[in-house]
Amino acid sequence: MTRLIPGEDELHAFIDDHLAPGRRAEVQAWLAANPQEAARVEAWRNDARRLRAALAGFGEQPGAATLDLRQVQQRVRQRRQRRLASAAVLLLALGVGGLGGWQAREVTLAGSELPMADAVQAHRLFAGSEALDIQASDPAQLRAWLGRHFSRVGQLPDLAGYGFQPVGARLLSNEQGPAALLVFQDRNGQRISLFLRSPGDRYERMPQGQRVDGQLEARYWSHGAYNFALVSAADDGRGAGVGEALRLGL
Amino acid sequence: MHNLDEQQWRELLQRLRRFALWLTREPGSADDLVQATVERALSRRGQQREAEALRAWLFTILYRLFLDGKRRERLHARWLSWFGRSAMAYEAVGDNTEDIVLAQADLQAFAQLSTEQRALLLLVSIEGLSYKEAAAALEIPIGTVMSRLSRARAALRELTEGNPQPPALRRLK
Repeated sequence: MTRLIPGEDELHAFIDDHLAPGRRAEVQAWLAANPQEAARVEAWRNDARRLRAALAGFGEQPGAATLDLRQVQQRVRQRRQRRLASAAVLLLALGVGGLGGWQAREVTLAGSELPMADAVQAHRLFAGSEALDIQASDPAQLRAWLGRHFSRVGQLPDLAGYGFQPVGARLLSNEQGPAALLVFQDRNGQRISLFLRSPGDRYERMPQGQRVDGQLEARYWSHGAYNFALVSAADDGRGAGVGEALRLGL
Repeated sequence: MHNLDEQQWRELLQRLRRFALWLTREPGSADDLVQATVERALSRRGQQREAEALRAWLFTILYRLFLDGKRRERLHARWLSWFGRSAMAYEAVGDNTEDIVLAQADLQAFAQLSTEQRALLLLVSIEGLSYKEAAAALEIPIGTVMSRLSRARAALRELTEGNPQPPALRRLK
């Protein structure tokens, strides 16, 4: 045995009965030979014993009903359900909000809250097609057509400088009244279109701007009695120049 | 916890309440603490315990809840003092052990120990938890358990010896 003399910790473990049986016997033997230490340990043990006696029954609820496990259980369950319910409500709220938001976005698109979204739409629908009201390769012809339908429009500039020749035009109408789509095409078949219409009550006069919608880019502005939009491929570098020319001319 | 019979359950509650009473020194708070402990334990059904470990686990929960409450109380007291109220008045509320303690020499001495010492002696001497379980319950290293135990026993000894003549048994209520 290397540790014959027990340490303080071991003395406590001895009275708390946490020593291994072998060591316990050794400590007991050591205490028998050391009466002073034995008295100290015995006093601790006595204190613990008296405390146990004094505290026996302590903590019993006088008269009052003991905590009913079933009731507590029920309360816990209810709380959990409430929490789940709150979570569900929250989820629902988020869902409705999100869905509502998404629908609102769709409404927005349909209602063209985005400036000149109808121009982009018209370009998508008609610029590539042959379903145009008139076929006009001569700018003067297109200009005349435009003047006939939109009396207050300015002079349609010749876009030949940018490589674009007129293809034709189509009269359109939406809830804001008549609109027109003028389609131009370059030698490679790349098309751009000019869209114009009355401002209408939902389409106020708008500041000049531009935005990219998918692969298309729209440049829009207001001038005179109309709103205009030039729709071109987003990667077409001529868009800026053409837009500038149109804005100055019309 | 669900497989305890009526008798075991009552005994367990009594032990928890005893522990809680000595921590909070107030029957109302002690009952709240026990209830919160049982609820916390029930809400963690995933952590099913063996009957023996259950007790240690419940003491652990209870002590943690007690410390949380203390922390909140201290924070509250600090708030009060910031607003010019005395924190002393607030602290005094919780200290009416005399109402619940038999004015008995042994318990008087015990009541004079610090909360930490009382908690440890309760777990080790009264509840018979192992040092390891007590360390876990009180969230202290085992070395601290041993040194605190040594100090607590010495302090209790001194208080008991300095008070050899027990006053007449009476219940202050």
